[in-house]
Amino acid sequence: MDTRQPLYALHERVWHWLQAGALLLLILTGFALHYPIGFGLFGSLARAVSWHSWIGLFLVLNAFLGLFYHLTADKFHHYLPKMDDFTGGAIRQVRFYLYGIFKGEPHPFELDARHKLNPLQKLTYLALLNVLLPFQVVTGVLMWGADRWPDLFAKMGGARTLGPAHALGAFLFTAFLIVHLYLTTTGETPLSLLRAMITGCEASGRTEAQLDLARGEEPSPEVQEEIAPTPAPDV
Amino acid sequence: MFRDGKDSLKRPRIKTVGAVLLALAGTLGVAFAILGQSSPGGPPNPPARLPHPAIPLLDEHGVNVLKSAGPISTRKTCGDCHDYDFIADSFHFQQGRTETDRKLLTAHGIAEYNTSPGMYGKFSILPNRQLTHLGITKPEDFDLSTPEWLTKCGVCHTGGGISEFDSENRKYGTAEASQTSPLDRDYNIRDAKTGQILPWDWNKSGTAEADCFLCHVPKADRGARKEAMAKGNFRWASNATLSESGIVTKDEKGGFAYTASAFKEDGTVKQEVLAISDPTIENCAQCHGFTARNATVIKPIQHADILRGTEKAGWIYNGAKISDTTSPIIAGREKMDFPWDAHAAKGLICIDCHFSPNNPGRMIQSDSEKNLRYKPGQNDIAVYLKRPDHNFARGNIPPETVNMTRHDTMRGCADCHEPEKGHAFLPYKSLHFKALACQTCHIPAVHFWAYRSDEWGALMDTGTSRITFRGIEGDIVDPSSVVTGYLPAYIPTKDADGRLRIRPTNLITGVYWFDKEKGRPVFTWQVQRAFFSGRDAEGAPIYRPEVLKAFADKDGFIDRPQAVYDRPEKIAVVRGLLQKFAGVTDPELRVEVAPWAMSHSIAGKDQAVKTCTACHQRDSMLRRPLDLDDALPDGVPVYYRGSQHAVVHHGKAGPVFDNRELLAGYYLVGHTRVAWIEWTGWLTVIGAVLFSLVHGALRIFGGK
Repeated sequence: MDTRQPLYALHERVWHWLQAGALLLLILTGFALHYPIGFGLFGSLARAVSWHSWIGLFLVLNAFLGLFYHLTADKFHHYLPKMDDFTGGAIRQVRFYLYGIFKGEPHPFELDARHKLNPLQKLTYLALLNVLLPFQVVTGVLMWGADRWPDLFAKMGGARTLGPAHALGAFLFTAFLIVHLYLTTTGETPLSLLRAMITGCEASGRTEAQLDLARGEEPSPEVQEEIAPTPAPDV
Repeated sequence: MFRDGKDSLKRPRIKTVGAVLLALAGTLGVAFAILGQSSPGGPPNPPARLPHPAIPLLDEHGVNVLKSAGPISTRKTCGDCHDYDFIADSFHFQQGRTETDRKLLTAHGIAEYNTSPGMYGKFSILPNRQLTHLGITKPEDFDLSTPEWLTKCGVCHTGGGISEFDSENRKYGTAEASQTSPLDRDYNIRDAKTGQILPWDWNKSGTAEADCFLCHVPKADRGARKEAMAKGNFRWASNATLSESGIVTKDEKGGFAYTASAFKEDGTVKQEVLAISDPTIENCAQCHGFTARNATVIKPIQHADILRGTEKAGWIYNGAKISDTTSPIIAGREKMDFPWDAHAAKGLICIDCHFSPNNPGRMIQSDSEKNLRYKPGQNDIAVYLKRPDHNFARGNIPPETVNMTRHDTMRGCADCHEPEKGHAFLPYKSLHFKALACQTCHIPAVHFWAYRSDEWGALMDTGTSRITFRGIEGDIVDPSSVVTGYLPAYIPTKDADGRLRIRPTNLITGVYWFDKEKGRPVFTWQVQRAFFSGRDAEGAPIYRPEVLKAFADKDGFIDRPQAVYDRPEKIAVVRGLLQKFAGVTDPELRVEVAPWAMSHSIAGKDQAVKTCTACHQRDSMLRRPLDLDDALPDGVPVYYRGSQHAVVHHGKAGPVFDNRELLAGYYLVGHTRVAWIEWTGWLTVIGAVLFSLVHGALRIFGGK
């Protein structure tokens, strides 16, 4: 039985693509600043600085909107890893990417509306959203404010420290983006995950109940009812 | 007492006179305004000034020279109204003679072997001469003496101070003035040809009093002054300066006779003949560099001297457009439809920025330490006229260190301009202004030639140094040579606010020998003894055979290309000769890269650097590898501003300036790369790409 699982609401998809676009533009403008000759896509360096600053501001505001949404809509649990995610779950996911995927094994953690991230994704986003993003925001804002808060800028090491630190963060974000893009091809079909982020639904070979059972979770009452074995007719 | 009716009768007349005066003032105002307009293609005329009162010229006894026929004494002539000793106690006259505080010298990075921060006492790679220290007991420690300094440098260093008083402040030529030891630098001179140390007769030479005319008379004749000083005719030096004025004529005995027609009946000089005034740019230009209001012919060589600022850095302070230059040949001048210097084109003169610090009309009337933009009651015109401070406001750029306690006193760019308002295109204005001197963008290129190297380590067959220039194809005295100009290098220098700012500079490289045992540079006469065995019949030096063998090419001559230390064997040979013939026990060959920072030849906003990528890219202009010489010895100590720095890179194209160490504290977005960040970053990105490609390929080939 082939089903289409509703995975991402419209506002989630819009938010995601806005962040993705902002991140991509930040990387491009950042590279235009770091390597002005090879990446002179934005006209003058001054224009690249301006773009970079505005897009950075947009990304930070959008990130706060996302945080607000996830907190108020009780969606934060998607990002909270369980204890098992750090050990068994992560190992199962790594094993799948390094071995199982080549053997045609099913995904150890298939996604649905209530489980949008696999354990490895949860760990990645834990580091990304709590360490790398704030690090980039802080170093970026300090550099943006070099003219406005020169003493603070100097106290934090000035461009000599903040510049390379921000560049390192940008490299890590770039690496994340590359792997993230590649891993979108590891769905049921190479484009199924991408399609899901566009259409909101993912094609899955299994029902939600099967997915719950595969995860070792108790299916919801509605699902339990749906999958309850039909009593054999009295003969 | 009642006033009589005359008072009321006078009123209409006063009104009439007042109206006439007002009309006259208005007419004069219009006239001055017209005079002040920019003449076609040239800077505005300077404003009219009140003439200096007519004065008599007095001799050293205070007698009118018309009567005594003696040399002019400025101490008596000018000192009658102005405080001569106060004026002469300033750096143009003393050149460091009175600045001997070792702590201050050390604080300014001035090496131990220097006795002052000025040209009288500070070693420079260019003349490679050192003022003899006081109290020496051995002839081998004797180099430049005061009389020799005056014959060579006294033409510019305007009398007074050094040329009037010995080290113990005794006036030369007086009964109490005599040498304190047989090798007293103030009373002896080393004969250039024989090397003998001979006594100097101050009674014969006389003293050169402060030459007020050199700076305050429009037709000052520096050439005639140079001749008088070079001949040791110090007594008549100030008269010589007036050679072009029509006041004096040279006589056969080296003296000067006075031209009666230049004087009025009362014995004073006609005002229009002497025409005493504030220093004009032409006055300053005589010594400091080519300076003119509107010159289409650039003459940087006057009286056989290359003008200092021009030779050292290539700056030209001229209001005329470069495209209008008819001589010398300036490469690409037809496209240079802008002035040699933007300030000169606006009619600014030297004293606008380098003013007398107590001139109420020009002084900076603020006190930044007390947050005062205007500080009233600072000085009075009468005080200024009596005692005009001649420690002129100055900046603080290398290599100048004289007048150590009064650096950064001049009018800086921000004293006239408001940079925050004029750089709309520039992001991070404050950051840029903190890191860069204005000159960095406003002197994008030097359109003239300048010294590139002056090497006294290997001597030419003239017995002097090997000199090379940058910015010219051909010889500097050949009118057919093409002046190509050059692009400056960049160094950090400390500004008045204590910040290090990057600024443009010329670099002059010297190769010289250092006497490690004595802790001082090897004197030129010692290097000459090492290189030459004697002189031929015409007085030309004869190279030692060892020198010819090491340096000469196949034709047996040592020309400019050969007079370099491009092989270690050459260094070893000369080191041996210095030990053998010059008594230098431990000579060390050194390279010094000396910056001559730029402040003139300012480009206006249209020519200034505005492209971000000029600096913010891998090949940033701030890291420009300016060529230093045809060849420089590798592996010898390299000095930069008094201490060893790795500022020379020996590349395929020859030795070039490498300022990585000097600019290590700066982070230039788009230019600076931190190696471990780049490696880590790119390895991470490449790792991500490779993982994706390999993983994807395995999936594709595995049919998954």
